Amino acid sequence: MKRKGLSILCLVLVVAWLSGCATTETTKKPYKLSQQGTVIWEDEFEFLPPPPGWKLLRVEAGENDINFGFMREDPGPFPSVTTFAYDEEPFGCTPGFEKREKEFFKRFLFNAILQFQILEKKKVQVVGGEGLAVTVEGKDPIKKEKVRAKVVFGKRGDRVVGFYITQWRPMDASYDLSAFEIFDKFVTSFKFLKKSFYETL
Amino acid sequence: MEGHQRNLYLYERFNARVLGVSRDDVITLAYFAKSLDLTFPLLSNVTAFLGVYFDTQPEGRPIFGRRTVIIDKKGVIRYVRDGSPDFKDILLFLKKLNQEGGKP
Repeated sequence: MKRKGLSILCLVLVVAWLSGCATTETTKKPYKLSQQGTVIWEDEFEFLPPPPGWKLLRVEAGENDINFGFMREDPGPFPSVTTFAYDEEPFGCTPGFEKREKEFFKRFLFNAILQFQILEKKKVQVVGGEGLAVTVEGKDPIKKEKVRAKVVFGKRGDRVVGFYITQWRPMDASYDLSAFEIFDKFVTSFKFLKKSFYETL
Repeated sequence: MEGHQRNLYLYERFNARVLGVSRDDVITLAYFAKSLDLTFPLLSNVTAFLGVYFDTQPEGRPIFGRRTVIIDKKGVIRYVRDGSPDFKDILLFLKKLNQEGGKP
Protein backbone atom coordinates (compact mmCIF):
# COMPACT_ATOMS: atom_id res chain seq x y z
CA MET A 1 0.00 0.00 0.00
CA LYS A 2 1.24 3.32 -0.88
CA ARG A 3 1.90 5.54 2.00
CA LYS A 4 1.63 9.18 1.70
CA GLY A 5 5.10 10.65 1.90
CA LEU A 6 5.76 12.51 5.04
CA SER A 7 7.15 15.91 4.73
CA ILE A 8 9.75 17.11 7.11
CA LEU A 9 9.27 20.40 8.77
CA CYS A 10 12.69 21.61 9.55
CA LEU A 11 13.58 24.70 11.39
CA VAL A 12 16.66 26.59 10.52
CA LEU A 13 17.35 28.47 13.64
CA VAL A 14 19.81 31.22 13.34
CA VAL A 15 20.92 32.05 16.78
CA ALA A 16 22.05 35.62 16.68
CA TRP A 17 24.30 37.29 14.25
CA LEU A 18 27.50 39.21 14.40
CA SER A 19 29.27 41.01 11.67
CA GLY A 20 31.67 38.83 9.80
CA CYS A 21 33.46 38.83 6.52
CA ALA A 22 36.30 36.85 5.19
CA THR A 23 39.29 38.02 3.30
CA THR A 24 41.83 35.49 2.28
CA GLU A 25 43.74 34.23 -0.66
CA THR A 26 43.93 30.86 -2.35
CA THR A 27 47.15 29.02 -3.03
CA LYS A 28 45.86 27.07 -6.01
CA LYS A 29 45.12 29.06 -9.13
CA PRO A 30 41.37 29.06 -9.68
CA TYR A 31 41.63 29.88 -13.38
CA LYS A 32 43.15 28.86 -16.67
CA LEU A 33 43.53 30.63 -19.99
CA SER A 34 41.75 29.44 -23.08
CA GLN A 35 43.27 29.51 -26.56
CA GLN A 36 40.88 32.34 -27.41
CA GLY A 37 42.46 34.53 -24.71
CA THR A 38 39.58 34.25 -22.29
CA VAL A 39 39.80 33.14 -18.69
CA ILE A 40 38.06 29.98 -17.51
CA TRP A 41 37.38 30.52 -13.83
CA GLU A 42 36.97 27.35 -11.76
CA ASP A 43 35.44 25.68 -14.84
CA GLU A 44 32.33 27.70 -14.12
CA PHE A 45 32.74 31.10 -15.74
CA GLU A 46 34.39 32.36 -18.89
CA PHE A 47 35.28 35.98 -19.51
CA LEU A 48 37.65 38.38 -21.17
CA PRO A 49 40.24 39.48 -18.59
CA PRO A 50 41.40 43.09 -18.24
CA PRO A 51 44.75 44.07 -19.77
CA PRO A 52 48.02 43.79 -17.79
CA GLY A 53 48.23 46.18 -14.86
CA TRP A 54 45.07 44.94 -13.20
CA LYS A 55 45.54 42.82 -10.08
CA LEU A 56 43.33 39.87 -9.30
CA LEU A 57 41.10 40.46 -6.34
CA ARG A 58 39.61 37.45 -4.64
CA VAL A 59 37.48 37.27 -1.57
CA GLU A 60 36.57 33.95 -0.09
CA ALA A 61 32.94 33.12 -0.62
CA GLY A 62 30.79 34.06 2.30
CA GLU A 63 27.79 36.09 3.16
CA ASN A 64 27.71 39.19 0.98
CA ASP A 65 31.21 38.80 -0.36
CA ILE A 66 32.14 39.10 -3.99
CA ASN A 67 33.37 36.09 -5.95
CA PHE A 68 36.31 37.67 -7.69
CA GLY A 69 37.38 40.84 -9.38
CA PHE A 70 40.22 43.04 -10.52
CA MET A 71 41.84 46.17 -9.14
CA ARG A 72 44.02 48.87 -10.59
CA GLU A 73 45.81 51.68 -8.80
CA ASP A 74 45.34 54.76 -10.94
CA PRO A 75 47.72 57.71 -11.30
CA GLY A 76 47.03 60.57 -8.91
CA PRO A 77 46.63 61.05 -5.18
CA PHE A 78 44.57 58.88 -2.84
CA PRO A 79 41.97 57.47 -3.35
CA SER A 80 42.67 57.00 -7.08
CA VAL A 81 41.78 53.37 -7.59
CA THR A 82 39.45 51.33 -9.79
CA THR A 83 37.95 47.98 -8.88
CA PHE A 84 35.51 45.74 -10.68
CA ALA A 85 34.02 42.43 -9.70
CA TYR A 86 31.54 39.67 -10.33
CA ASP A 87 29.22 39.02 -7.42
CA GLU A 88 27.06 35.91 -7.23
CA GLU A 89 25.09 37.33 -4.32
CA PRO A 90 24.71 41.08 -4.71
CA PHE A 91 23.14 42.98 -1.82
CA GLY A 92 19.38 42.60 -1.57
CA CYS A 93 17.03 39.67 -1.89
CA THR A 94 14.40 40.34 -4.54
CA PRO A 95 14.61 38.46 -7.84
CA GLY A 96 13.24 41.46 -9.80
CA PHE A 97 15.78 43.99 -11.06
CA GLU A 98 13.98 47.22 -10.24
CA LYS A 99 13.41 46.41 -6.58
CA ARG A 100 16.76 44.69 -6.27
CA GLU A 101 18.49 47.83 -7.49
CA LYS A 102 16.92 49.83 -4.67
CA GLU A 103 17.86 47.18 -2.10
CA PHE A 104 21.38 47.03 -3.48
CA PHE A 105 22.07 50.74 -3.24
CA LYS A 106 20.94 50.81 0.38
CA ARG A 107 24.11 48.91 1.20
CA PHE A 108 26.52 49.43 -1.67
CA LEU A 109 29.62 51.25 -0.36
CA PHE A 110 27.69 51.61 2.87
CA ASN A 111 30.75 52.42 4.97
CA ALA A 112 31.58 55.39 2.78
CA ILE A 113 28.25 57.04 3.70
CA LEU A 114 27.61 58.50 0.26
CA GLN A 115 24.50 59.88 -1.36
CA PHE A 116 24.31 58.39 -4.82
CA GLN A 117 23.00 60.21 -7.81
CA ILE A 118 21.82 58.04 -10.69
CA LEU A 119 23.51 59.14 -13.89
CA GLU A 120 22.05 56.49 -16.18
CA LYS A 121 19.74 53.50 -15.88
CA LYS A 122 18.98 51.25 -18.81
CA LYS A 123 18.02 47.72 -19.77
CA VAL A 124 20.86 45.68 -21.19
CA GLN A 125 21.56 42.19 -22.46
CA VAL A 126 23.85 40.31 -20.11
CA VAL A 127 24.76 36.64 -19.58
CA GLY A 128 22.31 35.62 -22.26
CA GLY A 129 19.29 37.46 -20.94
CA GLU A 130 17.83 40.77 -19.97
CA GLY A 131 19.58 42.83 -17.31
CA LEU A 132 19.70 46.26 -15.79
CA ALA A 133 22.70 48.62 -15.83
CA VAL A 134 22.84 51.53 -13.41
CA THR A 135 25.58 54.16 -13.40
CA VAL A 136 25.85 56.32 -10.30
CA GLU A 137 28.09 58.91 -8.74
CA GLY A 138 28.58 59.46 -5.04
CA LYS A 139 30.34 62.35 -3.37
CA ASP A 140 31.78 62.87 0.08
CA PRO A 141 32.21 66.63 0.60
CA ILE A 142 33.88 66.10 3.99
CA LYS A 143 36.67 63.86 2.76
CA LYS A 144 36.62 65.59 -0.62
CA GLU A 145 36.34 62.29 -2.44
CA LYS A 146 34.01 60.98 -5.10
CA VAL A 147 33.22 57.67 -6.73
CA ARG A 148 31.70 56.73 -10.05
CA ALA A 149 30.19 53.28 -10.17
CA LYS A 150 28.31 51.11 -12.61
CA VAL A 151 26.31 48.10 -11.54
CA VAL A 152 24.94 45.54 -13.97
CA PHE A 153 22.32 43.13 -12.70
CA GLY A 154 21.71 39.90 -14.58
CA LYS A 155 20.07 36.55 -13.94
CA ARG A 156 21.55 33.14 -13.30
CA GLY A 157 18.61 30.79 -13.07
CA ASP A 158 16.11 32.33 -10.67
CA ARG A 159 18.67 34.46 -8.89
CA VAL A 160 20.09 37.89 -9.51
CA VAL A 161 23.83 38.21 -9.99
CA GLY A 162 25.78 41.43 -10.22
CA PHE A 163 28.78 43.01 -11.85
CA TYR A 164 30.10 46.30 -10.59
CA ILE A 165 32.89 48.75 -11.05
CA THR A 166 33.88 51.54 -8.69
CA GLN A 167 36.33 54.29 -9.50
CA TRP A 168 37.42 56.51 -6.63
CA ARG A 169 38.93 59.92 -7.14
CA PRO A 170 39.74 63.08 -5.18
CA MET A 171 36.87 65.51 -5.63
CA ASP A 172 38.69 67.73 -8.12
CA ALA A 173 40.14 64.90 -10.26
CA SER A 174 38.59 63.53 -13.40
CA TYR A 175 37.46 59.97 -14.00
CA ASP A 176 39.17 57.61 -16.43
CA LEU A 177 36.26 56.26 -18.44
CA SER A 178 38.47 53.82 -20.34
CA ALA A 179 38.32 51.59 -17.25
CA PHE A 180 34.54 51.43 -17.68
CA GLU A 181 35.04 50.23 -21.24
CA ILE A 182 37.28 47.43 -19.94
CA PHE A 183 34.58 46.57 -17.42
CA ASP A 184 31.93 46.54 -20.16
CA LYS A 185 34.02 44.10 -22.19
CA PHE A 186 34.38 41.91 -19.11
CA VAL A 187 30.62 41.90 -18.56
CA THR A 188 29.71 41.42 -22.21
CA SER A 189 32.09 38.49 -22.54
CA PHE A 190 30.93 36.81 -19.32
CA LYS A 191 29.43 33.33 -19.74
CA PHE A 192 28.25 30.64 -17.37
CA LEU A 193 29.80 27.31 -18.29
CA LYS A 194 27.55 25.26 -16.06
CA LYS A 195 24.46 25.50 -13.93
CA SER A 196 24.78 27.21 -10.59
CA PHE A 197 24.63 25.32 -7.33
CA TYR A 198 21.12 26.66 -6.75
CA GLU A 199 19.89 25.47 -10.14
CA THR A 200 21.02 21.93 -9.38
CA LEU A 201 19.21 21.63 -6.05
CA MET B 1 20.34 37.38 7.12
CA GLU B 2 19.96 38.52 3.53
CA GLY B 3 21.30 35.14 2.49
CA HIS B 4 18.46 33.41 4.32
CA GLN B 5 15.97 35.79 2.74
CA ARG B 6 17.33 34.98 -0.74
CA ASN B 7 16.97 31.28 0.01
CA LEU B 8 13.41 31.34 1.34
CA TYR B 9 12.01 29.80 -1.85
CA LEU B 10 14.48 26.93 -1.48
CA TYR B 11 13.70 26.45 2.21
CA GLU B 12 10.05 26.28 1.18
CA ARG B 13 10.91 23.61 -1.36
CA PHE B 14 12.58 21.55 1.38
CA ASN B 15 9.74 22.09 3.89
CA ALA B 16 11.90 24.20 6.13
CA ARG B 17 11.26 27.46 7.92
CA VAL B 18 13.82 29.93 9.16
CA LEU B 19 13.81 32.26 12.10
CA GLY B 20 16.43 34.38 13.75
CA VAL B 21 17.04 34.92 17.42
CA SER B 22 18.79 37.90 18.92
CA ARG B 23 19.21 39.63 22.24
CA ASP B 24 18.18 42.91 20.65
CA ASP B 25 14.83 44.36 21.60
CA VAL B 26 11.75 44.15 19.38
CA ILE B 27 11.96 47.72 18.09
CA THR B 28 15.59 47.26 17.04
CA LEU B 29 14.77 44.00 15.31
CA ALA B 30 11.80 45.54 13.52
CA TYR B 31 14.07 48.27 12.18
CA PHE B 32 16.73 45.73 11.26
CA ALA B 33 14.20 43.56 9.39
CA LYS B 34 12.81 46.56 7.57
CA SER B 35 16.24 47.81 6.55
CA LEU B 36 17.07 44.44 4.97
CA ASP B 37 13.55 43.68 3.70
CA LEU B 38 13.43 40.48 5.73
CA THR B 39 10.10 38.67 5.78
CA PHE B 40 10.90 35.77 8.10
CA PRO B 41 10.48 36.07 11.89
CA LEU B 42 13.17 37.50 14.12
CA LEU B 43 12.74 36.63 17.76
CA SER B 44 13.80 39.02 20.47
CA ASN B 45 15.25 37.22 23.45
CA VAL B 46 16.56 39.93 25.74
CA THR B 47 16.66 37.61 28.74
CA ALA B 48 19.00 35.34 26.74
CA PHE B 49 17.57 31.99 27.83
CA LEU B 50 17.64 30.73 24.23
CA GLY B 51 21.31 31.68 23.97
CA VAL B 52 22.02 29.72 27.12
CA TYR B 53 19.96 26.79 25.81
CA PHE B 54 21.82 26.74 22.50
CA ASP B 55 25.16 27.54 24.14
CA THR B 56 25.69 30.74 22.21
CA GLN B 57 25.83 33.13 25.13
CA PRO B 58 29.41 34.11 25.89
CA GLU B 59 29.83 34.89 29.56
CA GLY B 60 29.70 38.58 30.35
CA ARG B 61 28.79 39.68 26.84
CA PRO B 62 25.51 41.27 25.85
CA ILE B 63 25.19 39.48 22.51
CA PHE B 64 24.88 35.90 21.28
CA GLY B 65 27.58 34.13 19.35
CA ARG B 66 26.62 33.37 15.78
CA ARG B 67 25.32 29.86 15.32
CA THR B 68 23.08 28.06 12.85
CA VAL B 69 20.94 25.25 14.18
CA ILE B 70 18.63 22.97 12.21
CA ILE B 71 15.90 21.21 14.14
CA ASP B 72 13.82 18.48 12.54
CA LYS B 73 10.07 18.08 12.90
CA LYS B 74 10.53 15.84 15.91
CA GLY B 75 12.44 18.58 17.69
CA VAL B 76 15.81 16.90 17.32
CA ILE B 77 18.78 19.14 16.67
CA ARG B 78 20.34 17.78 13.50
CA TYR B 79 22.84 20.45 12.50
CA VAL B 80 24.93 22.99 14.38
CA ARG B 81 27.54 25.28 12.85
CA ASP B 82 29.22 28.35 14.27
CA GLY B 83 30.16 31.52 12.47
CA SER B 84 28.78 32.94 9.24
CA PRO B 85 26.20 30.59 7.76
CA ASP B 86 27.40 28.32 4.98
CA PHE B 87 24.27 28.57 2.87
CA LYS B 88 25.20 25.86 0.41
CA ASP B 89 25.93 23.46 3.25
CA ILE B 90 22.63 24.37 4.90
CA LEU B 91 20.67 23.83 1.68
CA LEU B 92 22.30 20.49 0.99
CA PHE B 93 21.53 19.38 4.53
CA LEU B 94 17.90 20.48 4.26
CA LYS B 95 17.55 18.71 0.93
CA LYS B 96 18.90 15.51 2.48
CA LEU B 97 16.65 15.86 5.50
CA ASN B 98 13.63 16.43 3.29
CA GLN B 99 14.44 13.35 1.24
CA GLU B 100 14.75 11.29 4.43
CA GLY B 101 11.34 12.54 5.52
CA GLY B 102 9.78 11.60 2.20
CA LYS B 103 10.71 7.92 2.48
CA PRO B 104 7.79 5.58 3.25
